[in-house]
This record gives sequence, structure tokens and C-alpha cells, in this order.
Amino acid sequence: MDNRTPKPLAVNRGRRKFLKGTTAAGAMAVAAPIGAKLIASGAAPARTSKAPLRPSRLDEGLGPHPKDHGLLSSAGSDYMIDVLRKLGIDHVAFVPGDTFRGLHESLVNYGLLTEPKMTFSAVNHEETAVAFCHGYAKVEGKPMACFVHAAVGLQHAAMALYNAWADRVPVVCLAGARVYSAERGIYVDWDHSVFDGPALVRDFTKWDNTPLTLEDFGNTAVRAYKFATTPPAGPVVLQVDMTLQENPLPGDKAPPIPSLPQSTPPSGDDRAVAEIAKLLVAAENPVIAADRAARTPKGLALMVELAEALQCAVVDSHARFNFPWRHPLNQSARQREAVADGDLVLGLEMTDFHGIIGQLPKSVKTLSITSEDLYMKANYGDYQHFAAVDMAVEADAEATLPALIEAVRRLTPNTRRPAFEARGQRLAQAHLAALQASREAAAVGWDEQPISVPRLCQELYAQIKDEDWALVSGTVFQSYWPQQLWSADRHYQYIGDAGAYGLGYLPGAALGAAAAHARHGRLAVAVGGDGDFMFSPAVLWAAAHNRIPFLYVIHNNRAYFNEIMALQRIANRRNRGIDRTGIGNDLTQPIVDYAAMARSMGVAGFGPVTDPKALADVFRQAVALVKRGEPVLVDVVAQGR
Amino acid sequence: MRRFARAVALVLCAFTLTSAARAAPAGSAEKGRQLFLRDGCYACHGTRGAGGAIAGPQLAPNPLPFAAVLMQLRSPAYRMPLYSRKVLSDADAADIYAYLTSIPAGRAASGITLLNLGSMAARQAVSHGKK
Repeated sequence: MDNRTPKPLAVNRGRRKFLKGTTAAGAMAVAAPIGAKLIASGAAPARTSKAPLRPSRLDEGLGPHPKDHGLLSSAGSDYMIDVLRKLGIDHVAFVPGDTFRGLHESLVNYGLLTEPKMTFSAVNHEETAVAFCHGYAKVEGKPMACFVHAAVGLQHAAMALYNAWADRVPVVCLAGARVYSAERGIYVDWDHSVFDGPALVRDFTKWDNTPLTLEDFGNTAVRAYKFATTPPAGPVVLQVDMTLQENPLPGDKAPPIPSLPQSTPPSGDDRAVAEIAKLLVAAENPVIAADRAARTPKGLALMVELAEALQCAVVDSHARFNFPWRHPLNQSARQREAVADGDLVLGLEMTDFHGIIGQLPKSVKTLSITSEDLYMKANYGDYQHFAAVDMAVEADAEATLPALIEAVRRLTPNTRRPAFEARGQRLAQAHLAALQASREAAAVGWDEQPISVPRLCQELYAQIKDEDWALVSGTVFQSYWPQQLWSADRHYQYIGDAGAYGLGYLPGAALGAAAAHARHGRLAVAVGGDGDFMFSPAVLWAAAHNRIPFLYVIHNNRAYFNEIMALQRIANRRNRGIDRTGIGNDLTQPIVDYAAMARSMGVAGFGPVTDPKALADVFRQAVALVKRGEPVLVDVVAQGR
Repeated sequence: MRRFARAVALVLCAFTLTSAARAAPAGSAEKGRQLFLRDGCYACHGTRGAGGAIAGPQLAPNPLPFAAVLMQLRSPAYRMPLYSRKVLSDADAADIYAYLTSIPAGRAASGITLLNLGSMAARQAVSHGKK
């Protein structure tokens, strides 16, 4: 943190205040000397009765930017910083851009230095800035902000915003804009100008707005925050004109900042909840399927409470930490069998519920509680295949769980309890059997080179299992080995994946999540593919520069492996063979030295590790460095999956 | 993976019922290894057939009968690429099969310390999820 003292703004009266004063007094002689100088030089137009009048609302907000170089008595963007602080936004990430230079200056000379002090992370790409916010919000349970250009910056940020949208994660994105054409000088100003920048991302942001005055900014920011955080959560964009940032406060007086109301997420109505409880209690083998059900640690505890009240199977699709990985009722490793055995499946905040229930016989009762249906857009397909359920409760699952648990307990007759207990015992045995099957599967190829993925995961786990660790990466491309073999029971230990699987998510999101974990003294660990990493390797510099400790393990299969498999399928269907499917997919010729890349950017780098026997020592050293506060990269040459 | 395994099992079952099973022709394990890597089998199944969980099932040690493997190559179930005779001859398939059968059983899970870490055991406790 920079401990320089804040730089006070130099004059007591701003240009606008001065102008207002002159208008009121009708005499320039009463003006402050600097203001008089401005007027006298002709640098700032004096308001006279002959001057064209703009609407008063614009007069206090958007409008000609002072072309002079005189001192300003106050800054509109200082007010914006105060609005962010009042919303509890305490961290900002960005790569610089001149359309938000006012905000940038206010952050570094005001927000970072005055109480409550904000913090800042420099990044090298707008996609990384948004991904950083994405990972941070999933750990902290609240959004942070990023600043971007409304034109080229928002274009860079677009994919990351889509990931956050699809992952139902709140991000507050402030897009600096040169809306007012008088602000556009040389050609590049025009290139970087856009009237409605957020239009580009409107299909996959929850809300956007372009406030016209500072007071409007305050109201709009609070509204945007509410939209972003109300389930289903999502990213929001505020386009902020340069003049609004850079002009002084109207009358040198900050507009009021509305208070953020205490919001209550929508919960299911009592009758629907009672009906679901009744069906759950009556079912022989109810199954709970969860994807983003546990938004918070409280949600995780409620999930456990519900499952234990019913002694029923839980299958987790892993978009969040919905259920302890080694809980006896966790049947995620045998999801198909568990669902096939069920006579009722309750989906809680499922992304692809159709994928779970689509092939089930009609005799199986299907229910859902999800906020997904409360807010959705048309163009992109993240709304998924329609899930034809028997009963849908349009509400936030976590908010509905307390009532559902209470109803289940109330409606469970004592006569049902022995059956519940017997079911729980059966499921506990099935969990153990699945765990043993996973162990046996992991043993196959244990000593292989390239290193097997379960070996990679277990060597890593052995070094972190006694720490307060948190996995900040998804696990689908590691075949869910951590969920199969590790033990985790705290909500922050796993935050899911990208949302829309847009590549380039993990480096930035892992860094943002690690920054949040660092506040709590946790050891953040990510395991991600080399292909994903190559989208935003500059995040290493950001990790070193911002001193964010984390262990980033490159699962290096030297290819965009998913696409290799896809290309093999189509090439062979066309009967052309697959010997050329590496073209465009391989990450070879040259082979990338990720450890050297890390070192070049100030991050400790290990590898490439090709011998599985070397992993233990490398991970031991890496973890020791991370515990000392350093970012570390370990490159492991491993099997594809 | 399990859907795939089930599909393979069905194929195998049908094959056995029609008594059409053929013994595996002789093949070269060394050449088969080269083909296994060249022809992309490793992408989903790992370089020694250990499998890639959701990407592709375990093939070795103890592979399915050759006829079942061949049927899966020619008429694949689930997401596996189709391997026609043009891109993979029966002789090449036999070589790959020879490679799969040559792969010895690995270590048992019970003998691998990292697969038996104490904290991995499923707990019977009823109170979880507390931060």
C-alpha cells in the first residue's frame, strides 16, 4: 500500500463555483484570483446572458471539459470513489486508459490514501481485470470494481464479462467514456469514443447505465450494485463520461449518496415449499442435485442440514462448493447411479438440469428451485437446454432452504426415520465404495510419464492438506480428481469454474481469488491448463507486482487438448485420419518454458517437471515460498486428462 | 465415462451373445505403442491406457476382448472418434491391442501412500459445512 499523504486540491473555489459566483454577483472582481485568470485568458468561457443555455441537468454533469490547465477545486471522480466505498467496494483492478484518468487519479491520490482506504491491483489486460473481479467476488462474497475504456477496453473485457454472467457472479465495471464530442481531439480520441459502449456487452450483463450527472451517478451506482448482487447475480456496467469524472463538484458540494438497502433474496412461497417437503419426505430415494446452490458458507451449512434431515443423496455439479467432498451422503462420484436410483430429483440452482434428468423415466418426480428463471436474456445460449420439471419454484435456493428444512422436519413422521437412517447407511457405504474405486483408478498409471493427472493432484494435496488451503481453479479438465480424492468441507475451499468456459478465465480469476484469500491468510492454489494460461500469461507480472501469493500449477499437456479430441472426432468421421489434428492445437515448436516465463516476470518458477518422483520436493518448496507471501508457478508435464 | 463404459459393456454383451467373438490376431506391441500415440488414442485414454476419467475410460491393464475393442473402433458409442479401416486397419488395431495387453498391472492403490492419506477417509460425522 502506498502511504503517501493525500494531495489536497489546490484552490478553494472551482471554476464552476466561480462562474456561479460571477453570475450571481454580476462582477468578475469578486472572483478568486485563479478563476479570474482563467476567464481573463479566455481559456474558460464565462457564462453570460447571451451564452446558449444547456439543460441544467447537463450543466452539472456532462458538458464541455475545461480546456484550461488551471487548478480545479474539487473532483467529480472523488465523489465516485466515495460512492464505491459506501457500497463496500474496497478493491479495484485495471489496466490504465485515458477515458478514466479522472477515476484513476482519484483512486491513487484519494481512494488509496483516505479512510476507509481502498486497495488496488494493476493488471495488463481488461479481460484479466474482469476475471480478477470474478474470482475475488466468489471468495469474498461481494463485488469489487474494475475500470475499463468504454470502447477498446470493454471490447477486451467482453469475454470475461460473459464468463461472469454465465457464472452468476457480480462484477461492477466502470467504463470511462468520451461521450461528449467536444472532448474528442486527435484521431485516436475518436477511435476510442463510443456513444453507447455497454451496448456491446448488453446481451450478457445484468444492467448498464450512463449517468448524466454526479447525483445520477450516485443513484445509478447503488441501483447497479443492487442488480449485480441480487440473485441471480451478474455483472453490471456503468459508462462514466470523462467530463463527469473531471469536472469539479457542482457548487463544490458532493451530492448525497443513497444508502444501500438491506436486500432480501427471493425465497419460495410457503405452499410450494411445503409441497416439495412433503414429496421429499415421501420419496423412497430422493436425490438433491446442486450446482450454484450454496452462494455463501451459510448456504453450505443449510445444504448439509437438509441432506442430513432426509439422509438422502447429494450430487454436486461443482459450480460452487455445495457439499463437503467426503461427506457420506455426497454421491457426486457416482452421480449417474445415484440419480438412476432416485424416485425424486430436486435441482437447486442447476445450470444444466436437463443433463441430469433428461433421460429419466416419467415416474421420477423432478423439482427445481432456482433463481435462473427470474432474469434471463435471449441471444446467448447460457440459459441451457430446457429442463422439463414437474414443479419449478422460481426463487433463490439458498434463501429457500431454511423454510424447506423446517418443513421437512415438521412433516417427517417418526415412522419414517428408521428408513431414512437405513438409506443414509447405504449411501455412506456407496460413498466409500466410490472413493475406493477412485483410488484404484488413480493408481493406474501412477508412475507414468507424462505424469498422470491424479498423481499431480495427490502430490499437490499431500503438501497442502495440513494448511488452510483453497483451490481457486475448476477441476473439469483435471477429471474432478480433487473432488474424488481430497477432503474439503469449507465453503471457500472451492469456487467453481469459469461459467462459460471462455479461455483466459483462470489466470485472472485465480489471481483475484488469491488476493481475496490472502486477506484471510489462506493458501491459494490453482491447477490450470497451459492453453488457458497462454491467453493471459501477463498475470504473472500482476501477481509479482501486486505481491499476491498463490501457487499456480500448469497442467501442461502441450496442446489445446479439448479441441484435439473434437478435431479427432470430425476428422475420422470424414475418414481422413487424425495424424494432422495437432495442427492448430499443439502448443509445441517451440515448447514453452513456463518457469522461465514466470521468473522473467518476478515470479518463482519450477519446472518443467517430467518425473513424478520429483513432484513432492518441488511442491514442498513451492508451498513454502507461497507461505512466505510469494507467487509461484510450477510447470508439470502431464497427461491430457 | 460411465456412460461410455456402459455402452462398451452393451456392445460386448451383444457381441458375446451372437457368438461372433474373434480371438485377437497377433500384433506387435512396440508398433502398437507407436500407433497408440500417433493415432490419438492417448489423448483420451492416457499414454498407457490409464484412462482420463470423463475424457475416456481405462483401457489397460486387462483390456476388453479384442472384438469388443474393434467394434468400438468401427462403431463407436458415446463421443469416441470413429476409426474406419481406411484410417486404422485391422492389423493396426491388432498392434494397438497387443500394446494394451502388454501393459502390466500397476501398483495397487493400497500400496500407494498418497492414495491413503488419513484426511481422505469419508467421515461419518453429521456436522459439516461449518466455516
